[in-house]
Amino acid sequence: MRTLPASFGDFRCAHCRMIVSSAHVLSGVNNRNHCPYCLWSCHLDLFSAGDRLSACKAPMTPVGLTMKKGRNKYQRLENHRPRGELMLIHECTDCQTLSINRIAADDDSASVLAVFENSLTLTPRIQARCREYGILILNSADHEIVQVQLYGCCAEIPALSWT
Amino acid sequence: MIPLASPNSKEASGMITEILPRNSKLSRPAPVPGQRVFEQVIVSNADLIVPVFSAANPTPKWGLLDRYLVSAEAAGLPALIVINKLDLAWKNPTLDEELEIYRRIGYPIVLVSAIDGGGIEELKGALQGKLSVFVGKSGVGKTSLLNAIQPGLGLRVKAVGNGEVGKGRHTTTHLEMFALDFGGALVDTPGMREFGLWNITAEELADLFPEMAGHVGQCKFGLSCQHDREPGCAIRKAVMAGTVSPYRYQSYMRLREEL
Repeated sequence: MRTLPASFGDFRCAHCRMIVSSAHVLSGVNNRNHCPYCLWSCHLDLFSAGDRLSACKAPMTPVGLTMKKGRNKYQRLENHRPRGELMLIHECTDCQTLSINRIAADDDSASVLAVFENSLTLTPRIQARCREYGILILNSADHEIVQVQLYGCCAEIPALSWT
Repeated sequence: MIPLASPNSKEASGMITEILPRNSKLSRPAPVPGQRVFEQVIVSNADLIVPVFSAANPTPKWGLLDRYLVSAEAAGLPALIVINKLDLAWKNPTLDEELEIYRRIGYPIVLVSAIDGGGIEELKGALQGKLSVFVGKSGVGKTSLLNAIQPGLGLRVKAVGNGEVGKGRHTTTHLEMFALDFGGALVDTPGMREFGLWNITAEELADLFPEMAGHVGQCKFGLSCQHDREPGCAIRKAVMAGTVSPYRYQSYMRLREEL
């Protein structure tokens, strides 16, 4: 049986304690930004993704979803199909810095959906911070987009039955 | 350091007459792979360490500069940062911004060009009456600067390689001290690709970064703080407040990992 080679930079998530592989073949990204299980991150970057210049190093919690800025800023639907890429919004638990990060290929879809659902009741403080950063949070009107992006269909995903 | 008495100056021969006490030394671990690591003293009894970098071709490696500065601080020697090839500064638009980090810490900086002579008089003034040592990677123009400071030495120099990065070609292969006509002496060294820290512990490293030294021991973890993830670490707070450069902090963390 083929096994994945041990990759440099594997780590244990400081929040959920799961072991996370940094292998590109799993995540599909060059710099693993967050835990694929609980989606928590760590405040390591300052000016650009992967620069590792931040001295804060505090945990970052996922607070909501947004769409990647494109040529048509925040364009979401094209011929009723979602356009662009879902992005996670993280907030630093220490300095309250917000950052937007790509969703990795192996991120747990149910966790991403849970972040979206929790973000529908965001506190006014975080909503104000997002406005300050120019980040448009996906809201209840975007439920269909999130469903299609995560599962490829709009219908509710039936719960798996093991019996 | 040893004084030489030359019975016949024409033959350039001499005799060791005395071994002077070693007041200071600049050292690094000898880069010999596969062997026991031992100390390589680059120069002793120097008054001034002069890290030489070029504005471009090759581009400055600030991590290497931090290594020189930490070693100078550990040796208790002042440092003078020299940026050569000022005539090529247009190739490096971020140079001023990066040098500002070191200016704010208090390190003196001299910008020179060995080609057109810009800044040479200022450099001569800084070197006058001192025993200085040029250190830097290959191709930054240490020997060219020496030729510009003291015309007539006629030391061998070569242009850097034609590659995009502009790597040096290790033209100078031995270390030599030259007496300067205007007073003092200058030690020219071969290009150093590696410069490890010798006899410096992880605990004392932050004290060797002058802008961080005042923050050591200022948090609840005291002197046992690793300045990494400790909540309330004074050095990390200073980085976030902008009084310590994040680049210097990153450099500190990288060096610490090696120790």
